[in-house]
Amino acid sequence: MAMRNAYVDQFPAEAKVIKAAFWSSFLALAIGGLLGLVQALHRTDVVRFIDSADYYTVLTAHGVLLAITFTIFFLVGIFTWAVTTSLERGVVDTRFTWSWYAMMVVGTVLVGVTIFAGFLEDAPEILGAPLNADVLFTFYAPLQAHPFFYVGLVLFVVGSWLAGVDWFRTWWAWRGENPDERIPLPTFMVLTTTLFWYICTFGVALSILVFLLPWSLGIVDSVNPLLTRTLFWYFGHAVVYFWLMPAYMMWYIMLPKLSGGKLFSDPLARVVFVLFLLLSTPLGIHHQYLDPGIAEGYKFIAMTNTMFLLLPSLLTAFTVVASMEHGARQRGGEGYLGWLRALPWRDPVFTGMALAGLMFAAAGFSGMINAGMNINYLVHNTWWVVGHFHLTVGTAVALTFMAAAYWFIPQVTGKALWNRSVALGQVLLWFIGMTFMSNAMHRSGLFGMPRRTAEPQYSGFEFEPAAGTVGEINAQVALGAVILTVSLALFLLNMVLTSFNGSSDAIPDNTYAGTLSGPEDAPEILDNLKLWTAIAIVLVIFAYTLPVASIVENGGLFGPGIEGQQLTLVPDTATVLETVREVMP
Amino acid sequence: MSSATEQRTTDQATETDSGETGPVRTIGHDEYDPIGTLILIAIYFAILVLLWLFMYFVEFLGNGPTVVGTLVTVVGLA
Repeated sequence: MAMRNAYVDQFPAEAKVIKAAFWSSFLALAIGGLLGLVQALHRTDVVRFIDSADYYTVLTAHGVLLAITFTIFFLVGIFTWAVTTSLERGVVDTRFTWSWYAMMVVGTVLVGVTIFAGFLEDAPEILGAPLNADVLFTFYAPLQAHPFFYVGLVLFVVGSWLAGVDWFRTWWAWRGENPDERIPLPTFMVLTTTLFWYICTFGVALSILVFLLPWSLGIVDSVNPLLTRTLFWYFGHAVVYFWLMPAYMMWYIMLPKLSGGKLFSDPLARVVFVLFLLLSTPLGIHHQYLDPGIAEGYKFIAMTNTMFLLLPSLLTAFTVVASMEHGARQRGGEGYLGWLRALPWRDPVFTGMALAGLMFAAAGFSGMINAGMNINYLVHNTWWVVGHFHLTVGTAVALTFMAAAYWFIPQVTGKALWNRSVALGQVLLWFIGMTFMSNAMHRSGLFGMPRRTAEPQYSGFEFEPAAGTVGEINAQVALGAVILTVSLALFLLNMVLTSFNGSSDAIPDNTYAGTLSGPEDAPEILDNLKLWTAIAIVLVIFAYTLPVASIVENGGLFGPGIEGQQLTLVPDTATVLETVREVMP
Repeated sequence: MSSATEQRTTDQATETDSGETGPVRTIGHDEYDPIGTLILIAIYFAILVLLWLFMYFVEFLGNGPTVVGTLVTVVGLA
């Protein structure tokens, strides 16, 4: 048998860190995913075993563990893989790599413990405040979390910053050894993504370190909620691209290879990542179309920047599909669309990523609706939005990552995947479950059903949507959530049983896709990271200086005496129903 | 493609452990015409346009101003 050439054979030390990052990610996925089921069943009134006040603790944990912990732990793993594999050299110092990983773990534990303490009847008092963080993923003031929540987030983000330093150091070392070479595409993708991560996390760091943390510690008495919200969304939209870029990377450098072909165009891929570096941040205000206190003109600028992002998204759709078609035709595929049958649909890695891409196309539509300043009023703060981001982060990203794990875990462990058929079933189930759940969420948003609500009852009064019923929507969401949970369980089972496998010689080589049009066809200027970063910062200054100045001028830097609120709810169905009957007799 | 990345990239998908057949021919840059991709993207674009028209003219303009309407109901003006 030929000598094995998997990642673990090439970079055994880095493989250990990546494996640890993956497992941290899977643990977050397991807990966060299970809480998703609890929520879906509670909200739809299928099974309610938690107190409705605890729904918001569950929701916070679900959001933070999946949107932050699961995604970012996984992506630091694949980014480290991408840099070392494409530069053909290890990181400069694995002790540094372990230290940023450890910092992210400590941050996560601190955040996790603080959130989960919210389930306790009498949460312990630490630093003079009860330990809890029922503030949801967005931690909008005046909702206030325990200081540990903010400190944990800071540690996690600083850990990710150091991970970026690690990738840059590795690249600098490589550049010293290879002064005349173009940046290999996977490393280019990692570096551009890291750069906009630095730009966007500056906002959330400012929000936490200057305002929310001192406020939760009692150092300052008040914050300006609109300012901290705006700083959150300065980060909060770019973070979605931080999750998405690793998925894009997989689509660009793995899908063509899995399809049996080559990446259609390296230059186009570089253009796409440069556009995301430029445009990821100066558009966060599009999450605040309904926030009073921000002038329409600034919202319009945010909308324009958002619509510009359709360009790299459609470029990606074209390049990735063209690369898959190239593979299919090399495999003997014929006809205008007949080539689709020649794709390797029995390969769970391919099928998972391809279905994730298909779901992302659907998310492109609901994203366009969200992004429109006027039409956003139709869906703002409804379940539509939840349906949208379950297609993006919940499928385009999560399903791509799970599918990628079927390739990566053997690479970093040297163990063959436990069961490929189960893996194929798993990715299909995810697609089916999400189709039910997300479709129903989108439609319910059009009825005006709110998000972030423990008991949207819709009973005791007449409510007739144009198509379908609330009962049918709820049934679809509950069914979808159950299918997704089964899929998640199968994924975790496959990962756990794979780790019990012995070492295998049948692990494929650690390679990524070649290109039809390579970096020699890409203008040199695309690799000028300083230039693109400078332009990105200028765009951010243009988009944010005036709105932030106006927010501070109107509400003050520290706001008009806004005190922190801990979320307390005493569910009283009778009162709620009475109120509803008054409004809708 | 630079020499540093040559060994790391793969010309063809060599992983056939899913039991799929590998490539049977090589299609170079100049002889490849992604007509199927063009068709798929055109279909997608048409779907986007149609759904947007539906959302704007039927769902958005077709519904009354819900937020204002409810408020007016609450304060008993309508």
